[in-house]
Amino acid sequence: MKNGTEKRVLAAWLLLVAILWRSSALAADKVTYRLKWLYNVSVVGALYAQTHHLFERAGLTVEVKSGGPERDAIRELELGYADFGAASADQVLRARAKGSPVVVIAQLFQVNPLQWLYRPAEVRIGKLADLKGKVIGVTYGGNDETIMRTLLGKGGITTGEVDLFSVRFDYTPFYRHRVQLWPVYRNAQGPMISDQLAKAGEATAYFNPADFGVRFVANSVVTEARTLEEKPELVQRFLAALLAGWQQALDPKNEEEAIKTLQQFDPDTSSRPILAEQLRITRELVQPTPGFAIGTIDHQAWEQTEKIMLGQKQLSRQVDLKAVLKPIAVLSGR
Amino acid sequence: MLPRRILQFLIIYCLFIGTLMLVKYGLRLSDYVIPAPAAIFQTLLAEYRQYTLATMNTLTVAVVGQVLSVILAFAIGIVGRRSTWFGSFIKVAAYNIQAYPIVALAPILFILLGDGFLTRLLIAAMICYFPVLLSVLGIMSKPVEDIEHFYRATGKMRWQLEVKIRAFENLSQLTTVISGSATLAMAGTIVAEFIAADAGIGYSIRIALYQSDLGKIVIALFLIGITIAAYQGLLELLGSAVKRAWTGNALS
Repeated sequence: MKNGTEKRVLAAWLLLVAILWRSSALAADKVTYRLKWLYNVSVVGALYAQTHHLFERAGLTVEVKSGGPERDAIRELELGYADFGAASADQVLRARAKGSPVVVIAQLFQVNPLQWLYRPAEVRIGKLADLKGKVIGVTYGGNDETIMRTLLGKGGITTGEVDLFSVRFDYTPFYRHRVQLWPVYRNAQGPMISDQLAKAGEATAYFNPADFGVRFVANSVVTEARTLEEKPELVQRFLAALLAGWQQALDPKNEEEAIKTLQQFDPDTSSRPILAEQLRITRELVQPTPGFAIGTIDHQAWEQTEKIMLGQKQLSRQVDLKAVLKPIAVLSGR
Repeated sequence: MLPRRILQFLIIYCLFIGTLMLVKYGLRLSDYVIPAPAAIFQTLLAEYRQYTLATMNTLTVAVVGQVLSVILAFAIGIVGRRSTWFGSFIKVAAYNIQAYPIVALAPILFILLGDGFLTRLLIAAMICYFPVLLSVLGIMSKPVEDIEHFYRATGKMRWQLEVKIRAFENLSQLTTVISGSATLAMAGTIVAEFIAADAGIGYSIRIALYQSDLGKIVIALFLIGITIAAYQGLLELLGSAVKRAWTGNALS
């Protein structure tokens, strides 16, 4: 009798172990993806992949966490709070120069969305020299300051020949015509401000540094070098699902779905025409031509970005770009 | 008092840096996450002049804001000390306005007044004004019965005398409130600068954050801390001197 009970207990244990083993084998890999900014059109690909179960299909449970000014994906990678993140090129280069083991596995924006809004009725910019004498908004310490100083240098304009205005969160100085060029994210804030000004009967235009040869890289997908070395298959699966999310979200055929996704995460931008415009502009910045492979790393632009930062003494030393830029061949899900 | 304050701050700061270094070397974090001591020292050498000037700029605004708020808080507190409708109204208004986070009010102030000196001053004053007002109201509305009874019974009580008696009897408490409000004024000014101003140490911290430079932030925290410690120490010395002088006059 005792022997029979022991056998039953042993069988129950074995069954439990088998169930646990089976369920752990089936469980999706859990990863955290820290965005650079709040949920908006600039992260539509990740949101689309999340809501349309693309991560799940890749065997992943992904927590897409919103970013913000106080968040730094690269620090979170090192501290183990995130497995993947979105970071701008200047963040990546600064981090590498200080010994951070961060690597770039894909570049999301091919054209930097950081551009300057202006009124074409007041300002005409055909060449860089046209910036002379203008009141130009910059965020001191931000990317836009670096880019603008590069443009001024390229145009042979000294800082004394322009009036650099310290910008903050509200656009009042631009609305009141105190500032002539105001830095905005072309795809996110641009359509909203242009729409407001259009309602007031004012036309707007954008000064794009890339048109004048300054290609300062914006957001990329990053991870830790160790994650890439130890879990290349996980990195591949994550990136394939993420880029598939971008591909599908930016596909004009899926515009309604993409807008629905944005409305779900970004209810403050409720106007459908503005969301459609944001999506259209984002498409041009992420996938400049229809066949363009989303996520392609533009090595030349990275070299230029590094050169600019070294020139402005924002980097203490040169960074080995080969060690930083690790494009991943995405085989599926595209 | 002053050396003790500074020593206490230095101990706290060293403990803070020590903890950071323990985390850094314990978890093998790069200089990007937490800068090494050598990198912090290099940053100090590179930035001390600019950051010291920025801290002095912030302190100036904080001191002016604090003085204004203390004067205003005393004036309103004295007027509102009685259990009248007006006194009760002031208390309710003070509690309500204190409940609004300054980060929510600051953008409105910056839009209305711009990002210059005045807005920073107003925010600094607002942050330290209400706690001082509530303390002053508390002190001034509490009668010192055993002393005031004599003057009332003899018909010699005037409002100035009442205020003087209550202030004298609660001098230590008032000194502590004023000294404590220095921290609030400094914090208010830094918050204002961080949100939208174009000068001061809060503005420098904002730029350092944009550049992901924790070394600069560590230096800024040192300068802010030592400045507040020194300022509070000076206020305490001043409070003691006032107390000594007043006690001496009262005894003579």
